[in-house]
Amino acid sequence: MDANSLLSALAINPAIILMIGAALGVFLPNGLRRLFMLVFVGVSAFELNRLGLGNYGHLEIFGNPVTMLRIDPLARLFAIVFHIAAALNLVYNFRSKDRLQDFATLAYPASALGGVLAGDLVTLFVWWEIAAITSVFLVWAPGGRSTYLAGMRYLTIQILSGVLLLAGVVMVFRETGSLAFGEIGLRDADGAIKFSGLVILLAFGIKSAFPLLHNWVQDSYPKADFAGTIVLSVFTTKLAVASIARAFPGTPELVPIGIVMTIFPIFFALIENDLKKVLCYSINNQVGFMIVGIGFGTAASMNGAVGYAFTNIIFESLLFMGVGAAIYRTGTSKATELGGLYRTMPFTMVFTTIGALSISAFPGFAGFVTKGLIVDAAGGAHAFWIWLALLFASAGVLEHAGIKIPYFTFFAHDSGKRPKEAPPEMLLAMGISAFLCIAIGVYPEPLFALLPYPAAIADYHPYEAAHVVEQLQLLLWAVLAFAVLIIIKWYPAEIASTNLDTDWFYRVPGRNLATWIAGATRGVWNYAWSIVDQRFTAAMDRIYAVHGPEGAMARSWPTGFMALAVAIILGLVLIVVFTA
Amino acid sequence: MSDQHSNDGWADKKGFRNAFLAILVLAALAAAIAGFIPSFRKEHPHFEIEKFGAFFALYGFAAFMFIVLVGQHLRRLVARKETYYEERE
Repeated sequence: MDANSLLSALAINPAIILMIGAALGVFLPNGLRRLFMLVFVGVSAFELNRLGLGNYGHLEIFGNPVTMLRIDPLARLFAIVFHIAAALNLVYNFRSKDRLQDFATLAYPASALGGVLAGDLVTLFVWWEIAAITSVFLVWAPGGRSTYLAGMRYLTIQILSGVLLLAGVVMVFRETGSLAFGEIGLRDADGAIKFSGLVILLAFGIKSAFPLLHNWVQDSYPKADFAGTIVLSVFTTKLAVASIARAFPGTPELVPIGIVMTIFPIFFALIENDLKKVLCYSINNQVGFMIVGIGFGTAASMNGAVGYAFTNIIFESLLFMGVGAAIYRTGTSKATELGGLYRTMPFTMVFTTIGALSISAFPGFAGFVTKGLIVDAAGGAHAFWIWLALLFASAGVLEHAGIKIPYFTFFAHDSGKRPKEAPPEMLLAMGISAFLCIAIGVYPEPLFALLPYPAAIADYHPYEAAHVVEQLQLLLWAVLAFAVLIIIKWYPAEIASTNLDTDWFYRVPGRNLATWIAGATRGVWNYAWSIVDQRFTAAMDRIYAVHGPEGAMARSWPTGFMALAVAIILGLVLIVVFTA
Repeated sequence: MSDQHSNDGWADKKGFRNAFLAILVLAALAAAIAGFIPSFRKEHPHFEIEKFGAFFALYGFAAFMFIVLVGQHLRRLVARKETYYEERE
């Protein structure tokens, strides 16, 4: 690998273009900084389009070919939506005065983009780790001890994922002799589980927040500020989804994993008071739908999974932006402290409601046109319980993301807060997102044209009468249930609380155990050292007693003693010679 | 602030709430009835249960009720006071 080929491979990489924009932008003054970064997002998008589908940036590492840039339909889909999200994030908090956060707002999407465009496992690993490191600055941005600790926990888990990925890459290379990033699969030809596949799936599973590995999302993302959380919500989990879609399509084990992901967050989101955390549970739930689609692995369900990822990035961000605007104006994201904001933040309310309708998959909005592909896959496979679970999860999405977010922020009880409407740049970002939600909902063909399996989408018509009626029945009757619960006052009041989740295991007993182990190690060390110290001191004392100035070996002996000794030795020599 | 409190917004007015509820009920009923019209139904349903025209309506209603009425009891298991972690870290 010579320097010239490396430089030319880097120069055309859209991820590198974004990274350069982030690095140079830091030196510019407030106001100009984000504008400059936006230009780089435009240049990167232009380069992505100019290159078109294909493999670029071929290099050799220790004689093994690597492809730093692969633009295939799967990578292109994620690359496009990552550009949209990166641009909207820059616009949303345009007046930011925090250089480091601004850097992370572009450098972190850049690394996620590099990851989805990686054609080999080494390049993927490098971007995987850079994404972990750049994103932690968003978690740390607000400062404070609890934020610092959350950032450290986040970083530990992300780096653990990276280490597992590296171990998996080495194992795959040993098995196949190739570093290419393609389908890896969980099982070998005999149907036995491959350890390499398992390790890589675990690495991807941590980043996509599989059940029991999910709680880093709720622990760290809400610690970022109102804008940082939006950026975080997009990239890490979707980079992992793109990687799983590439490496593990049609892995049946993913279906139950995805189902659990879609269902358990519903209950945690229901009782959660912090609306940022509600949306973090929503990320888990939404990624669950994508994992189910990948697990079925049919062309239609794969289209559904990645198409849903595309639309989810837009409407999930929109919901985060709506809550973010409320936080920006009121200083809180607690449902108990919000409510009634529709009076003074009507545009934010309308945009957030559009996001809520989209995530709930109401006909006419972005979620509807792609989610059906995933649910239909379960039907097509005659997986009755999976199908029922997905419908149940859809009602759950409506509850926590479709109703709870807009209802408790803008309606519900009047908090008495009368904040100003969100600033124009936030409204612009939310307005564009809301427009995209509706545009994709009513005219999904451009999105469908980008999906990786065009043949499978050709005969899919989301607005078939039966599909629309079924979805409207499910959603409208669920809303009706909500109305009934409100009228009869059975809908549970929000309560300010901390709800324990899997992070409890490492934050309380795990931390106590670690503290105990540290104390015990210190105690054992001190005890062992004291024994060594005593023995050493005693030995030194004895040596000193013998060899020291007062010691026996240091005494001066009389001449007569020496003469006697010589006589004895000579006598012995005489005897030896005589007898020999 | 108190004078602002007394000014109910449009969404708090009884007329709006009643109208919203009425439209919701009518739309929900319309969707349920549409499920029984042959041209609004799948030609080849995947499961027997789909053949019942209002299945999705009933399931959506029941699922939502279950989530809220059963799910809220999760609090008993996992809810702690807000400063739970701050006191331990």
